[in-house]
Amino acid sequence: MFHGMRRKASVYGAMASVIPKIYMAYSLWFWVSLVLNVIATTIFVFFWRAVYANTNSIAGLDLQQTLNYILLAQIFAPLGNMQLIFEFGYNLREGGIAHALLRPVDFQGSYYGQYLTTMVTELVLQIPLALVVTLVFKVQWPTDPRVWVAFIVSAFLGRTVLFFFDWILACLTFYTTEVWGLGVFVDGISMFFSGRLIPLTMLPPLLLVIAGMTPFAQAFYIPISLLSGVKPLSQAPRLWLLQAIWLVALWVLSRLIFRVAVRKVTVQGG
Amino acid sequence: MSIIQTEDLTKIYRLNQKDPGVTGAIKALVRPRHRDLVAVDQISFTVAAGEMVGYIGVNGAGKSTTIKLLTGILVPTNGKVEVLGRDPHRQRVDNARQIGVVFGQRTQLWWDLALIESLNLIAKIYEIESSRYQFLLEQFSTSLGIKELLPIPIRNMSLGQKMRAELAAALIHEPQIVYLDEPTIGLDLIVKERIRDFIKQQNREKGTTVILTTHDLGDIEELCQRVIIIDKGKLIYDGPINTIKDRFGKFRTITFETCEPITQIKLPPGAEIITPDRHSEERKLALRFDRTITTASRVAAEVMNQVEVVDFSITEPDLPSIVKQIYGGALQGD
Repeated sequence: MFHGMRRKASVYGAMASVIPKIYMAYSLWFWVSLVLNVIATTIFVFFWRAVYANTNSIAGLDLQQTLNYILLAQIFAPLGNMQLIFEFGYNLREGGIAHALLRPVDFQGSYYGQYLTTMVTELVLQIPLALVVTLVFKVQWPTDPRVWVAFIVSAFLGRTVLFFFDWILACLTFYTTEVWGLGVFVDGISMFFSGRLIPLTMLPPLLLVIAGMTPFAQAFYIPISLLSGVKPLSQAPRLWLLQAIWLVALWVLSRLIFRVAVRKVTVQGG
Repeated sequence: MSIIQTEDLTKIYRLNQKDPGVTGAIKALVRPRHRDLVAVDQISFTVAAGEMVGYIGVNGAGKSTTIKLLTGILVPTNGKVEVLGRDPHRQRVDNARQIGVVFGQRTQLWWDLALIESLNLIAKIYEIESSRYQFLLEQFSTSLGIKELLPIPIRNMSLGQKMRAELAAALIHEPQIVYLDEPTIGLDLIVKERIRDFIKQQNREKGTTVILTTHDLGDIEELCQRVIIIDKGKLIYDGPINTIKDRFGKFRTITFETCEPITQIKLPPGAEIITPDRHSEERKLALRFDRTITTASRVAAEVMNQVEVVDFSITEPDLPSIVKQIYGGALQGD
């Protein structure tokens, strides 16, 4: 069994190792996105300073706590990136899905490996932004190693939750073969309900409840809240459990949906 | 022993129907309409281990859909398909280990990676033993001439280079069956020749079963002893290529461009005029001759003795015309 697992890890690891190589094939976009991220972060900081000009606290968070959350959210933005809807759509349109299905590997497993690797690669590429933010805006990094452990576990669980959710939505493209509308809609919803723009505690009560019922918050808000101190370390085990429940439910659902949806695959052209 | 079996294999696509324009788009949104397209219609055949079978038909005949059903990418609407004793869709992963596929119009290689990186990755995915992989890489580098292509990213390759790289990627794990869907499309004669030789070599040395779809009858003649012809999803011929060649391949068309309009001409036995008719003022003369009765040089010499010829060309019958004749019942009674 151990040998089998090692073999699988080697195969999926090899497939995932392609991701950083593909990122490194083009360098211009890296510099462009770094500049854009620095500009966006600067705007966020000045915006929140203006918001706090006449108040000391919003939803229980002071300016420094909010800024810290926002800056960390910018640095760790790749935790909330969704990619499968557009990827499946592209592969269906261009016919690449045929070759993807012809690999002798578990289709979902291979995509999961690549999903995690994409996140890690994008996080590594965020290091220059992290340096700029640390030097210019004085972001406060946690010093307690337990906070980092809580963050890493939570980020891993959250990313997996998001993967299964992304997968379920991507399976819809087998039926629609049109992805633009769905992709843009999900991106928009995710922007608000993941906590990438503002800490979720600042949402109106009804939206806060809705955000809590979506998997976006599991992938982004929870790990960033633990890292930034918006949520205390003592809540970590409860939050992990919640994430694990989401994970198992979405994993089962995603497997069932894929089994049905893959029967609908149409490989375009020739 | 047959390793591929299909029985009444049928694939029906459900297509959305829209009227043109914005009104049509809105109508389709409110009341969607569909129509069924039968891409593969109750096809039954078997393929034995080591066979090289040409699977031919005009565009839209259902060739590629059949290949996708055999590989397990698509699920049949009706009927049965079995490859190496498995249901290729239900047992997709096990089936995928034993087959190789080249789709001439799309790549299985990683666009931004050097060819060697793609091949190394494929070797990992198929768990090819390291020394065996090195041996095959060396062998393929020579027979496909890809040694100098190994460090080049796929996106920088020409069509011919890409196709040789695709073949290496599809066969490096030594599959029992290889499906080649138009592997020579758009390639020049030299590359075609190299690819055909490589396929023959794999079949000869490893007993690889080859299912080949193509529009190039040259590929079929070079590689296959048997052809399956489909039209509008239906199987219309399954048998030896010699029958097709004897029946349809014996005719050639020779077209002359002449200095003067031709009013009368004497032809050798086995040749006949197609166009123009004898009273035409045209300066072009198209003849059809039977290669088993006469030769191109005899026909050309006879014509050139009688009229001044500016230019001439010889063409062989194309696939659509053969399929058309077969579909019209041309093989009945053979």
